[in-house]
Amino acid sequence: MLQKGTAKKVTIYVNEDTRHHLGPLYEAILNFLLHKGVAGASATRAMAGFGAHQVMHTAKIEVLAQHLPIRIEFIETAGRVEELLPTLYDMVGDGVLEVSDTEIVKAANQDLPAEPKTPHAEFRGKARMMRIYLGESDQWEGKPLYDALLQRLKAMDIAGATVYRGILGYGVKGHTHKSGALPFSRDLPIMISVVDTEEKLRQAIDAVEAMMQDGLIVLSDVDVIRLLHSRPESSHANG
Amino acid sequence: MRTAKQARLLRLHFSEGDRYQGKPLYEAIVDRAKTLGIAGATVFRGLEGYGETAEIHRKHLMRHDEPIVVTIVDSAENLERLIPEVEAMMDTGLIATSEVEAIRIERRGNPAGG
Repeated sequence: MLQKGTAKKVTIYVNEDTRHHLGPLYEAILNFLLHKGVAGASATRAMAGFGAHQVMHTAKIEVLAQHLPIRIEFIETAGRVEELLPTLYDMVGDGVLEVSDTEIVKAANQDLPAEPKTPHAEFRGKARMMRIYLGESDQWEGKPLYDALLQRLKAMDIAGATVYRGILGYGVKGHTHKSGALPFSRDLPIMISVVDTEEKLRQAIDAVEAMMQDGLIVLSDVDVIRLLHSRPESSHANG
Repeated sequence: MRTAKQARLLRLHFSEGDRYQGKPLYEAIVDRAKTLGIAGATVFRGLEGYGETAEIHRKHLMRHDEPIVVTIVDSAENLERLIPEVEAMMDTGLIATSEVEAIRIERRGNPAGG
Protein backbone atom coordinates (compact mmCIF):
# COMPACT_ATOMS: atom_id res chain seq x y z
CA MET A 1 0.00 0.00 0.00
CA LEU A 2 1.16 3.49 -0.73
CA GLN A 3 2.42 5.73 2.04
CA LYS A 4 2.03 9.43 2.53
CA GLY A 5 4.94 11.35 1.01
CA THR A 6 6.78 11.74 -2.25
CA ALA A 7 6.17 9.29 -5.04
CA LYS A 8 6.23 9.04 -8.83
CA LYS A 9 3.29 9.34 -11.12
CA VAL A 10 3.51 7.53 -14.44
CA THR A 11 1.27 8.54 -17.32
CA ILE A 12 1.11 6.56 -20.52
CA TYR A 13 -0.74 7.68 -23.65
CA VAL A 14 -1.62 5.03 -26.20
CA ASN A 15 -4.28 4.57 -28.84
CA GLU A 16 -7.27 2.42 -28.04
CA ASP A 17 -6.69 0.23 -31.07
CA THR A 18 -2.97 -0.34 -30.58
CA ARG A 19 -2.48 -4.06 -30.12
CA HIS A 20 -0.03 -5.95 -27.95
CA HIS A 21 0.16 -9.63 -28.90
CA LEU A 22 -3.50 -10.64 -29.04
CA GLY A 23 -5.25 -7.92 -27.06
CA PRO A 24 -5.38 -4.15 -26.76
CA LEU A 25 -2.15 -2.56 -25.50
CA TYR A 26 -3.83 -0.66 -22.67
CA GLU A 27 -5.23 -3.94 -21.32
CA ALA A 28 -1.82 -5.57 -21.53
CA ILE A 29 -0.28 -2.66 -19.62
CA LEU A 30 -2.96 -2.81 -16.91
CA ASN A 31 -2.52 -6.57 -16.58
CA PHE A 32 1.23 -6.15 -16.29
CA LEU A 33 0.82 -3.53 -13.55
CA LEU A 34 -1.68 -5.71 -11.67
CA HIS A 35 0.62 -8.71 -11.93
CA LYS A 36 3.51 -6.67 -10.57
CA GLY A 37 1.44 -5.65 -7.56
CA VAL A 38 1.13 -1.96 -8.37
CA ALA A 39 -1.17 -0.32 -5.83
CA GLY A 40 -3.61 0.93 -8.45
CA ALA A 41 -3.84 2.03 -12.06
CA SER A 42 -6.62 3.42 -14.19
CA ALA A 43 -7.12 3.81 -17.88
CA THR A 44 -9.29 6.66 -19.07
CA ARG A 45 -10.56 7.17 -22.57
CA ALA A 46 -10.21 10.63 -23.97
CA MET A 47 -13.00 12.46 -25.74
CA ALA A 48 -10.69 13.67 -28.44
CA GLY A 49 -6.99 14.14 -29.04
CA PHE A 50 -4.11 14.01 -31.43
CA GLY A 51 -0.59 12.66 -31.22
CA ALA A 52 2.61 12.13 -33.11
CA HIS A 53 0.75 11.23 -36.28
CA GLN A 54 -0.94 14.67 -36.28
CA VAL A 55 -4.35 13.11 -36.83
CA MET A 56 -7.33 14.24 -34.78
CA HIS A 57 -8.96 11.29 -33.01
CA THR A 58 -12.51 12.13 -32.06
CA ALA A 59 -15.64 10.34 -30.99
CA LYS A 60 -17.73 12.50 -33.29
CA ILE A 61 -16.76 10.63 -36.41
CA GLU A 62 -17.55 6.97 -36.00
CA VAL A 63 -14.65 5.58 -38.05
CA LEU A 64 -12.18 7.51 -35.97
CA ALA A 65 -13.79 6.63 -32.62
CA GLN A 66 -11.77 3.47 -32.16
CA HIS A 67 -8.53 5.41 -32.49
CA LEU A 68 -9.26 7.48 -29.40
CA PRO A 69 -6.41 8.11 -26.98
CA ILE A 70 -6.26 6.14 -23.76
CA ARG A 71 -4.44 7.53 -20.75
CA ILE A 72 -3.14 5.09 -18.14
CA GLU A 73 -2.05 6.53 -14.82
CA PHE A 74 -0.53 5.00 -11.75
CA ILE A 75 1.35 6.17 -8.69
CA GLU A 76 4.13 4.18 -7.09
CA THR A 77 7.31 4.70 -5.10
CA ALA A 78 10.37 5.82 -7.05
CA GLY A 79 12.00 2.43 -6.59
CA ARG A 80 9.04 0.50 -7.94
CA VAL A 81 8.68 2.83 -10.92
CA GLU A 82 12.37 2.29 -11.68
CA GLU A 83 11.72 -1.48 -11.79
CA LEU A 84 8.67 -1.22 -14.03
CA LEU A 85 9.91 1.33 -16.54
CA PRO A 86 12.12 -0.87 -18.76
CA THR A 87 9.23 -3.25 -19.49
CA LEU A 88 6.76 -0.42 -20.03
CA TYR A 89 9.28 1.24 -22.31
CA ASP A 90 9.34 -1.88 -24.47
CA MET A 91 5.59 -2.35 -24.42
CA VAL A 92 4.71 1.16 -25.51
CA GLY A 93 5.81 0.97 -29.11
CA ASP A 94 3.58 3.81 -30.23
CA GLY A 95 2.65 6.42 -27.65
CA VAL A 96 4.05 8.50 -24.85
CA LEU A 97 5.46 7.44 -21.50
CA GLU A 98 5.83 10.14 -18.87
CA VAL A 99 7.08 10.10 -15.28
CA SER A 100 6.60 12.99 -12.89
CA ASP A 101 7.21 13.67 -9.21
CA THR A 102 4.14 13.75 -7.09
CA GLU A 103 3.19 13.82 -3.46
CA ILE A 104 0.73 11.50 -1.81
CA VAL A 105 -1.39 13.42 0.66
CA LYS A 106 -3.64 10.59 1.69
CA ALA A 107 -3.71 6.92 0.78
CA ALA A 108 -6.53 5.37 2.78
CA ASN A 109 -7.69 1.81 2.58
CA GLN A 110 -10.45 0.73 4.89
CA ASP A 111 -11.10 -2.89 4.01
CA LEU A 112 -7.72 -4.47 3.64
CA PRO A 113 -5.19 -5.08 6.38
CA ALA A 114 -1.71 -3.75 5.64
CA GLU A 115 -0.14 -7.22 5.49
CA PRO A 116 0.90 -8.39 2.01
CA LYS A 117 -1.29 -10.84 0.15
CA THR A 118 0.22 -14.32 -0.07
CA PRO A 119 -1.15 -17.08 -2.29
CA HIS A 120 -1.31 -19.66 0.49
CA ALA A 121 0.23 -20.73 3.76
CA GLU A 122 1.29 -24.24 4.53
CA PHE A 123 0.38 -26.26 7.57
CA ARG A 124 2.30 -29.41 8.38
CA GLY A 125 1.89 -31.57 11.41
CA LYS A 126 0.27 -34.40 13.27
CA ALA A 127 -3.45 -34.77 12.88
CA ARG A 128 -6.13 -37.42 13.19
CA MET A 129 -8.11 -39.15 10.53
CA MET A 130 -11.61 -40.46 11.12
CA ARG A 131 -13.28 -42.91 8.79
CA ILE A 132 -17.01 -43.38 9.24
CA TYR A 133 -18.59 -46.47 7.73
CA LEU A 134 -22.33 -46.51 7.14
CA GLY A 135 -24.93 -47.57 4.59
CA GLU A 136 -26.16 -45.46 1.72
CA SER A 137 -29.81 -46.00 2.68
CA ASP A 138 -29.29 -44.91 6.31
CA GLN A 139 -31.48 -41.92 7.07
CA TRP A 140 -31.40 -39.01 9.46
CA GLU A 141 -34.53 -36.89 9.80
CA GLY A 142 -35.75 -37.83 6.36
CA LYS A 143 -32.54 -37.29 4.43
CA PRO A 144 -29.53 -39.45 3.70
CA LEU A 145 -27.38 -39.89 6.79
CA TYR A 146 -24.13 -39.25 4.91
CA ASP A 147 -25.54 -35.91 3.78
CA ALA A 148 -26.64 -35.03 7.31
CA LEU A 149 -23.25 -36.05 8.72
CA LEU A 150 -21.42 -33.91 6.19
CA GLN A 151 -23.55 -30.89 7.03
CA ARG A 152 -23.06 -31.48 10.75
CA LEU A 153 -19.28 -31.67 10.30
CA LYS A 154 -19.34 -28.52 8.25
CA ALA A 155 -21.39 -26.74 10.90
CA MET A 156 -18.75 -27.79 13.44
CA ASP A 157 -16.10 -26.15 11.28
CA ILE A 158 -14.23 -29.41 10.71
CA ALA A 159 -11.44 -28.85 8.19
CA GLY A 160 -12.70 -31.25 5.54
CA ALA A 161 -14.60 -34.43 4.82
CA THR A 162 -15.03 -36.64 1.76
CA VAL A 163 -17.80 -39.14 1.10
CA TYR A 164 -16.95 -42.31 -0.81
CA ARG A 165 -19.40 -44.85 -2.12
CA GLY A 166 -18.23 -48.44 -2.14
CA ILE A 167 -19.32 -51.02 -4.67
CA LEU A 168 -19.71 -53.95 -2.29
CA GLY A 169 -19.42 -54.61 1.40
CA TYR A 170 -20.79 -55.96 4.64
CA GLY A 171 -20.49 -54.79 8.20
CA VAL A 172 -22.18 -54.47 11.53
CA LYS A 173 -25.58 -55.40 10.19
CA GLY A 174 -24.16 -58.56 8.68
CA HIS A 175 -25.98 -58.16 5.38
CA THR A 176 -24.19 -57.56 2.14
CA HIS A 177 -24.44 -54.09 0.65
CA LYS A 178 -24.78 -54.55 -3.04
CA SER A 179 -26.28 -52.53 -5.81
CA GLY A 180 -29.82 -53.79 -6.36
CA ALA A 181 -31.62 -54.65 -9.56
CA LEU A 182 -33.28 -51.24 -9.57
CA PRO A 183 -31.07 -48.19 -9.53
CA PHE A 184 -33.01 -46.57 -6.65
CA SER A 185 -33.13 -49.67 -4.45
CA ARG A 186 -29.46 -49.81 -3.64
CA ASP A 187 -27.86 -49.80 -0.25
CA LEU A 188 -24.16 -49.54 -0.98
CA PRO A 189 -21.51 -48.97 1.67
CA ILE A 190 -20.54 -45.36 2.34
CA MET A 191 -17.30 -44.23 3.91
CA ILE A 192 -16.68 -40.64 5.02
CA SER A 193 -13.09 -39.68 5.69
CA VAL A 194 -12.44 -36.67 7.88
CA VAL A 195 -9.10 -35.09 8.82
CA ASP A 196 -8.59 -32.51 11.54
CA THR A 197 -6.78 -31.99 14.84
CA GLU A 198 -7.31 -34.47 17.66
CA GLU A 199 -9.42 -32.13 19.77
CA LYS A 200 -11.63 -31.02 16.88
CA LEU A 201 -12.23 -34.65 15.99
CA ARG A 202 -13.10 -35.53 19.57
CA GLN A 203 -16.09 -33.19 19.39
CA ALA A 204 -16.95 -34.50 15.94
CA ILE A 205 -16.96 -38.13 17.10
CA ASP A 206 -19.57 -37.38 19.78
CA ALA A 207 -21.79 -35.63 17.25
CA VAL A 208 -21.39 -38.35 14.63
CA GLU A 209 -22.02 -41.14 17.13
CA ALA A 210 -25.26 -39.54 18.28
CA MET A 211 -26.59 -39.50 14.72
CA MET A 212 -25.69 -43.07 13.79
CA GLN A 213 -27.80 -46.14 14.38
CA ASP A 214 -25.12 -48.61 13.48
CA GLY A 215 -21.82 -48.47 11.77
CA LEU A 216 -18.18 -48.09 12.50
CA ILE A 217 -15.89 -45.18 13.32
CA VAL A 218 -12.18 -45.79 12.77
CA LEU A 219 -9.52 -43.38 14.00
CA SER A 220 -5.87 -43.18 13.09
CA ASP A 221 -2.90 -40.84 13.35
CA VAL A 222 -1.87 -39.06 10.18
CA ASP A 223 0.65 -36.48 9.07
CA VAL A 224 -0.87 -33.66 7.13
CA ILE A 225 0.50 -31.22 4.65
CA ARG A 226 -2.19 -28.72 3.96
CA LEU A 227 -2.42 -25.57 1.92
CA LEU A 228 -4.46 -22.83 3.47
CA HIS A 229 -5.83 -19.86 1.66
CA SER A 230 -4.65 -16.59 3.15
CA ARG A 231 -7.79 -15.81 5.03
CA PRO A 232 -7.13 -13.72 8.10
CA GLU A 233 -9.77 -15.57 10.13
CA SER A 234 -8.35 -19.07 9.56
CA SER A 235 -6.69 -19.16 12.97
CA HIS A 236 -8.14 -22.51 14.05
CA ALA A 237 -5.81 -24.36 11.69
CA ASN A 238 -2.82 -23.66 13.87
CA GLY A 239 -3.77 -26.20 16.53
CA MET B 1 -17.99 -40.89 23.73
CA ARG B 2 -17.48 -44.58 24.26
CA THR B 3 -13.94 -45.84 24.37
CA ALA B 4 -12.26 -46.71 21.13
CA LYS B 5 -10.73 -50.17 20.87
CA GLN B 6 -7.36 -50.87 19.36
CA ALA B 7 -7.80 -52.51 15.97
CA ARG B 8 -6.06 -52.88 12.65
CA LEU B 9 -7.03 -51.58 9.24
CA LEU B 10 -6.20 -53.78 6.29
CA ARG B 11 -6.15 -52.36 2.78
CA LEU B 12 -5.91 -54.51 -0.32
CA HIS B 13 -5.13 -52.87 -3.63
CA PHE B 14 -5.62 -54.67 -6.91
CA SER B 15 -7.46 -54.36 -10.18
CA GLU B 16 -11.14 -54.75 -10.95
CA GLY B 17 -10.26 -57.15 -13.74
CA ASP B 18 -8.58 -59.61 -11.35
CA ARG B 19 -10.51 -62.82 -10.95
CA TYR B 20 -10.46 -65.77 -8.59
CA GLN B 21 -12.08 -69.07 -9.59
CA GLY B 22 -14.24 -67.44 -12.20
CA LYS B 23 -15.59 -64.53 -10.17
CA PRO B 24 -14.27 -61.07 -9.47
CA LEU B 25 -11.46 -61.19 -6.93
CA TYR B 26 -13.03 -58.49 -4.75
CA GLU B 27 -16.22 -60.55 -4.46
CA ALA B 28 -14.23 -63.66 -3.61
CA ILE B 29 -12.28 -61.80 -0.92
CA VAL B 30 -15.43 -60.32 0.66
CA ASP B 31 -17.02 -63.79 0.70
CA ARG B 32 -13.90 -65.31 2.26
CA ALA B 33 -13.77 -62.58 4.91
CA LYS B 34 -17.40 -63.28 5.77
CA THR B 35 -16.76 -67.01 6.04
CA LEU B 36 -13.86 -66.36 8.39
CA GLY B 37 -16.11 -64.23 10.60
CA ILE B 38 -14.32 -60.95 9.93
CA ALA B 39 -16.30 -57.97 11.27
CA GLY B 40 -16.74 -56.18 7.95
CA ALA B 41 -15.31 -55.37 4.55
CA THR B 42 -15.89 -52.56 2.08
CA VAL B 43 -14.88 -52.46 -1.58
CA PHE B 44 -14.14 -49.14 -3.31
CA ARG B 45 -13.54 -48.56 -6.95
CA GLY B 46 -11.08 -45.85 -7.90
CA LEU B 47 -11.20 -43.83 -11.08
CA GLU B 48 -7.68 -44.37 -12.28
CA GLY B 49 -4.42 -45.63 -10.89
CA TYR B 50 -1.28 -47.59 -11.47
CA GLY B 51 0.72 -50.08 -9.48
CA GLU B 52 3.33 -52.77 -9.63
CA THR B 53 3.02 -53.53 -13.31
CA ALA B 54 3.24 -49.83 -14.20
CA GLU B 55 0.17 -50.28 -16.32
CA ILE B 56 -2.45 -47.57 -15.96
CA HIS B 57 -5.64 -49.05 -14.58
CA ARG B 58 -8.69 -47.30 -15.84
CA LYS B 59 -12.01 -47.85 -17.50
CA HIS B 60 -11.74 -49.35 -20.94
CA LEU B 61 -14.51 -49.56 -23.45
CA MET B 62 -15.19 -53.26 -23.03
CA ARG B 63 -13.54 -54.35 -19.81
CA HIS B 64 -13.31 -52.93 -16.33
CA ASP B 65 -9.76 -52.40 -15.18
CA GLU B 66 -10.15 -49.69 -12.55
CA PRO B 67 -8.24 -49.87 -9.29
CA ILE B 68 -10.03 -51.61 -6.43
CA VAL B 69 -9.39 -51.05 -2.73
CA VAL B 70 -10.84 -53.40 -0.13
CA THR B 71 -10.74 -52.05 3.42
CA ILE B 72 -11.26 -54.29 6.41
CA VAL B 73 -11.18 -53.29 10.08
CA ASP B 74 -10.85 -55.97 12.76
CA SER B 75 -8.62 -57.16 15.60
CA ALA B 76 -5.01 -58.02 14.85
CA GLU B 77 -5.72 -61.72 15.56
CA ASN B 78 -8.60 -61.90 13.12
CA LEU B 79 -6.60 -60.17 10.41
CA GLU B 80 -3.75 -62.62 10.93
CA ARG B 81 -6.16 -65.42 10.02
CA LEU B 82 -7.36 -63.57 6.93
CA ILE B 83 -4.11 -62.22 5.45
CA PRO B 84 -2.50 -65.56 4.43
CA GLU B 85 -5.72 -66.63 2.70
CA VAL B 86 -6.03 -63.34 0.84
CA GLU B 87 -2.37 -63.46 -0.11
CA ALA B 88 -2.94 -66.82 -1.76
CA MET B 89 -5.90 -65.46 -3.72
CA MET B 90 -4.17 -62.34 -5.03
CA ASP B 91 -1.98 -62.42 -8.07
CA THR B 92 -0.40 -58.98 -8.05
CA GLY B 93 -1.38 -56.19 -5.77
CA LEU B 94 -0.64 -54.60 -2.46
CA ILE B 95 -1.56 -55.50 1.09
CA ALA B 96 -1.15 -52.76 3.69
CA THR B 97 -2.08 -52.66 7.35
CA SER B 98 -2.10 -49.85 9.86
CA GLU B 99 -2.83 -49.25 13.51
CA VAL B 100 -6.25 -47.74 14.21
CA GLU B 101 -8.79 -47.26 16.96
CA ALA B 102 -12.32 -48.41 16.25
CA ILE B 103 -15.69 -47.48 17.71
CA ARG B 104 -18.44 -49.88 16.77
CA ILE B 105 -21.96 -48.51 16.86
CA GLU B 106 -24.81 -51.01 17.16
CA ARG B 107 -28.02 -49.41 18.22
CA ARG B 108 -30.70 -50.64 15.87
CA GLY B 109 -33.11 -53.16 17.44
CA ASN B 110 -31.92 -52.10 20.87
CA PRO B 111 -34.41 -49.53 22.20
CA ALA B 112 -32.29 -48.79 25.25
CA GLY B 113 -29.69 -47.25 22.98
CA GLY B 114 -25.97 -47.63 23.32
